[in-house]
Amino acid sequence: MKPDAANTADGMAAERLPHYVSAEPFDPHIVEAMTPQQERFYMASQWQLMWWKLKRHRMAVISGVLLIAMYLSIAFSEFLAPYGHHSRHSDFIYAPPQSVHFFRDGALAAPYVYGFDYHLDMRDLRRVYTEDRGKVQPLRFLCHGDRYFFWGLLPGDLHLFCPAAGGTLFLLGTDRLGRDLLSRIIYGARISLTIGLMGVAVSLTLGIVIGGIAGYYGGTVDMLIQRLIEIIQSFPHLPLWMALSAILPVTWSPVLVYFGITLILGMIEWTHLGRAVRSKLLALREEDFCVAAMLMGARPARIIGRHLLPGFASHLIATATLTVPSMILGETALSFLGLGLRPPVTSWGVLLNEAQNINVVALYPWLMLPAVPVILLVLAFNFLGDGLRDAADPYH
Amino acid sequence: MRSPVLRALLVIVLAVCSAGATGFAFGRDFVETPSLANAVAAGALPAVARRIPDDPLIVDSLPGQPGGELAMLMSGAKDTRMMVVFGYARLVGYTPEFTLAPDLVKSVDDEDGDRSFTFHLRRGLKWSDGAPFTSADFRFWFEDVAQNTELAPSGLPPELLVAGERPRVEFPDALTVRYSWNRPNPMFLPALARADPLYIFMPEHYLRQFHARYADPDRLAQLVKAQKQRSWAGLFNKLSNAYRNDNPDLPTLEPWVLRTRPPADRLIFERNPYFHRVDGRGRQLPYIDRVMLVIADSKIIPAMTGAGASELQARYLRFDNYTFLKEGEQRNRYAVRLWRTIAGSQLALFPNLNYADPVWRALLRDVRFRRALSLTIDRHEINQAIYFGLAKEGQNTVLPGSPLFKPEYRQAWATFDLAAADKLLDELGLTKRQSDGLRLLPNGEPLRIIVESAGESTQESDVLELIRDTWREAGIALLPKPSQRTVLRNRVFAGAAMMTIGRGIENGLVFAQTPPVEFCPVRQQQLQWPKWGQYYEDRGKAGEAPDMNFGRELMRLFDAWLGSPTAADRRDIWEEILKITADEVPTIGIASGVPQPVVVGDNLRNVPEDGIYSWEPGAYFGIYHPDHFWLDGGTPPRQSEAAAAH
Amino acid sequence: MLAYILRRLLIMVPTLLAISVVIFTIIKLPPGDYLSSYVAELQSEGEAVDAQKIEFLKKEYGLDKPAWQQYFRWIGGLLRGDLGYSFEYNVPVRDIVGDKLLLTFIVSFATVLFTYLVAFPIGIYSATRQYSWSDHTLTLLGFIGLAVPNFLLALVLLYLANRHFGISIGGLMDPAYLDAPWSLAKARSVLAHLWIPVIVIGLSGTAGMIRRLRANLLDELQKQYVMTARAKGLPPFRALVKYPLRLALNPFIADIGSLLPHIISGATVVSVVMNLPTTGPMLLDALRSQDMYLAGSFLMFLALLTVLGMLLSDLALAALDPRIRLTGGRTR
Repeated sequence: MKPDAANTADGMAAERLPHYVSAEPFDPHIVEAMTPQQERFYMASQWQLMWWKLKRHRMAVISGVLLIAMYLSIAFSEFLAPYGHHSRHSDFIYAPPQSVHFFRDGALAAPYVYGFDYHLDMRDLRRVYTEDRGKVQPLRFLCHGDRYFFWGLLPGDLHLFCPAAGGTLFLLGTDRLGRDLLSRIIYGARISLTIGLMGVAVSLTLGIVIGGIAGYYGGTVDMLIQRLIEIIQSFPHLPLWMALSAILPVTWSPVLVYFGITLILGMIEWTHLGRAVRSKLLALREEDFCVAAMLMGARPARIIGRHLLPGFASHLIATATLTVPSMILGETALSFLGLGLRPPVTSWGVLLNEAQNINVVALYPWLMLPAVPVILLVLAFNFLGDGLRDAADPYH
Repeated sequence: MRSPVLRALLVIVLAVCSAGATGFAFGRDFVETPSLANAVAAGALPAVARRIPDDPLIVDSLPGQPGGELAMLMSGAKDTRMMVVFGYARLVGYTPEFTLAPDLVKSVDDEDGDRSFTFHLRRGLKWSDGAPFTSADFRFWFEDVAQNTELAPSGLPPELLVAGERPRVEFPDALTVRYSWNRPNPMFLPALARADPLYIFMPEHYLRQFHARYADPDRLAQLVKAQKQRSWAGLFNKLSNAYRNDNPDLPTLEPWVLRTRPPADRLIFERNPYFHRVDGRGRQLPYIDRVMLVIADSKIIPAMTGAGASELQARYLRFDNYTFLKEGEQRNRYAVRLWRTIAGSQLALFPNLNYADPVWRALLRDVRFRRALSLTIDRHEINQAIYFGLAKEGQNTVLPGSPLFKPEYRQAWATFDLAAADKLLDELGLTKRQSDGLRLLPNGEPLRIIVESAGESTQESDVLELIRDTWREAGIALLPKPSQRTVLRNRVFAGAAMMTIGRGIENGLVFAQTPPVEFCPVRQQQLQWPKWGQYYEDRGKAGEAPDMNFGRELMRLFDAWLGSPTAADRRDIWEEILKITADEVPTIGIASGVPQPVVVGDNLRNVPEDGIYSWEPGAYFGIYHPDHFWLDGGTPPRQSEAAAAH
Repeated sequence: MLAYILRRLLIMVPTLLAISVVIFTIIKLPPGDYLSSYVAELQSEGEAVDAQKIEFLKKEYGLDKPAWQQYFRWIGGLLRGDLGYSFEYNVPVRDIVGDKLLLTFIVSFATVLFTYLVAFPIGIYSATRQYSWSDHTLTLLGFIGLAVPNFLLALVLLYLANRHFGISIGGLMDPAYLDAPWSLAKARSVLAHLWIPVIVIGLSGTAGMIRRLRANLLDELQKQYVMTARAKGLPPFRALVKYPLRLALNPFIADIGSLLPHIISGATVVSVVMNLPTTGPMLLDALRSQDMYLAGSFLMFLALLTVLGMLLSDLALAALDPRIRLTGGRTR
């Protein structure tokens, strides 16, 4: 049938379309039924939702992977480091980094480094290292190198990669006693990475407890705690650090000093968490479920712990993740001021402190490389924390 | 000075000077200092011939031109005292050969074998404000300050007391002062020549206005309040501290006088117009017109020096800064020299013979243990790794430059001999070992020595790292424990610290007439025997009497030295002391003679190429007399943004 | 309003008293006192110590009295306006702090300015282009400042600036201008030296500000009125700046009060490294040597500033944001 020319202007066909009737059987519940994907979405728990949202934030995911890798490396520091923790080489003091080569004479070869030729410049009192192309030192993998005590307990000497027999493998150079910097960084990770976590654990506990009390009870208790938080936050950190470090007796072993430092850092950083907990509790306290629990006679601790906190645990985790970097940087700052860990303990803060002098900046700049893992760690935690917080936010 | 004859004489001298003659006529011809010429012409200052004493200290054969400003870097407000140290104007001072020579005084008569000292002052010597320096200043100090119970509650300084006996002080005339005792006091002159000297005089004309005995009470009370002090004594002590050198109004005898009122970040010192030294050509010293001390944090001073901020710098520079400083030589117009140091050992281990724990104390007191510890130190490796092989390995004792030196003193137990050490340790009964080779005490505890340090220098922790490895080979564990200066000292004094690491003997170039203070237990701050030293210092009222033979012997020898009549006797006593020290190894030395970098601006002359950098004796630059240094070409151009922009 | 201000001022008094007790305890905590560390320092350099002078000074400074007496002596002085006496410098505290304050304010002000200048564009861009690669890159740049250990960065920049631009190391100006009267050349020298500490200190503050601005802006941009404005045809830039940005600025004004201690604290480490004549190194030295009155009085001064600053920012916030005035509480 042909369209009527008089009716095409308003888009309505002059002709009627055929009446379509579906041949499917009639299903009264079709409106309410969901596709499998939709079903999964509605049935997903809070944590699964968070995880899906987190995956969208690419930097957070990359950061998370990096952090997991770093923390896993702590378990195998002895294995990963080419040299032992305290091994030093008096003949290779202040040696510059050696680069690994993969090609020899144009063809792919096993990775190797060139050996050093070294002489003392007595005019400048300088050690001069020149690469000797004649000394080819291939790396060994899964080899037996410096002896160590795995976690201080089990003796062993298996390394992931080591220098050639009689050779050297200073991928990041050596320091003033001839200690390999890469190995020291790997060992230092143990302390620097865990200080952050432990400090955050202390902060979390303090923040939840004190912030919880303030938020739950309100009134004068709240006001007093608010003032306390104000005082701590407004106080310049430096005197607080100094005073608290002075409390640590010098007779303590390095491990105890380490714990003491994490305590100190935790005791200063809890205020942000405390405030966050308090404000959330103030809001959630009025919710029906909380009132119901109160009417049923639950004790405050149970209400806070069982009902209120899980509601914003995700937010707490995000805030906590964002506190870790300040712990790590706090540790480096404390080392700089001479208040924190000191040699012979190895941490990134100690390494950076040793690098903080003009000799290093002018003559041996590779000793500043411990700053790189610090930067990476701080960035990773920040991005991860941002991603977690975005993911935990129920409004977007 | 108002006698007409003297005046006429001076007029003649002035006439000759103003004629511009620089050669010598009969007496001396003095050349007016260019920077003061205006003041002299305006009448504010007398001419040079009237400013210097009648018989000034003449330093011959110095080529030098007056003028210029010298910049140095210092680290705190307290470092104003460095200008007293560098200026080194003393009643008697050390020469570069470490002998004593009169400086501010014309001569010293040492009679009766150090029992009586008569100082003959220079006629016409004046304070920096023009007032005469006479025995009245000595009298003022002795009678009105040192014996005033409010100003000096604990009495006379210990250097003036010989076995508790006070000196007889006489002032025969305006230019003579005599101190005498019944027993010899050989520490008296060295105390006057110290870098931080014993002052037995004070500017009476200036300080009497702050003294309760002479000042108007109301005015004094006003001054006390204005300066926010608690009493006139506090005010007096604050304003009269010549060593601290922070009062611009206090007259001084040093070559440069403070002009900036602290606190400031930049302290200016200007030449003292009445300084008592002149060079062989009639120019009044110092050559340099002004010294500027720039205050900076000590950690950044090497960097600033390397950028050319200082023309004369050794303080706060360490041996490991040498390479960096050398790099900047051409660019920043300075040269780095390496001066010698005379410490008995740059770093030494101090086993605490007064340690509280009885088991460990017995072990530390056994000389075989100390010898074994000393034998297991690889000094050669330490020298190579840390001092570039430039230091001299050896024990913490006298140095080869001293007339008392014998090679066996330094080499005693200072070789690296693990076999001998093992034998000694086995002899001591420390034969039981753990599975990892660590020796055990008889009570089963591991042989672990805790070495505490002040935690301020990476050199200390580095040396301990190296020692740790070699001690481990002998089955001894070393646990380094960085601490804090005050805490460390208190622990050592109380016997709570087992062993410490610190600077060795300050002066290794000893002579027979050097007091053997550092070798005998006579000071509490000696880390190896603090309680014995305290016992001697407090005259038995505190501390513990030495309960070991050699400790008692050393203390006896010290007293014997103090009372010995002749130089030969002193020499014999010294030899005994050194022999005991070599045998008993009370401190374990490592290496000495670590060079000290000294940065000298290209324009600064008369600074020795190779000198000795030491606090006592030496006063750092003092014995080389910075007033003899001069700037060739005036104030050197300093690096500034304006200059760099062009 | 007036009642609120009065109430806050009244609460300030016990707060400050509590702070003073904390400060005093903190200063007294390390073992020993000023004189013992002074003696230790001298002896470690080989200098003889005049025992009688030490005894005398102990009585003069009141260090032989029990701690609580020393505390009241100090507080009594503070209430009378007497900041006390510095043992280290040997002059009243007021004389020392005075000159350094001006330079500290210059540095702090420049740093805050720099922080705002850097954080604003990055924060806004980050909020509007969320999750894009440019967002990530810019945020990365902003966070680098937080991540880099600033004492190391300061030293490196100092060295490079000296090698390549000839700027003298350390200090806020060429030593020739120290204690000289202000002139154009002196101001230029200060500017040439100022950029390094400002960058180093400022960069560490940008991260936090970026994050906060971004979060707040995101909150605002989700709201109905923004969508309405855009639907009605308002250009996107104006839709951003005219309403959401102003509301997002709310917390910045709130944070000015707490910004001050952070800047003075964070600046201490950098100032020490770069030898700036500001109050940071002075405070650090005073704390180390236990120069009681200098450290204590200065910290009280800081605390007073902070508490006042918080009050002022609360007032400013109340003035700016009618919601606070009307509902009486602060939204967080």
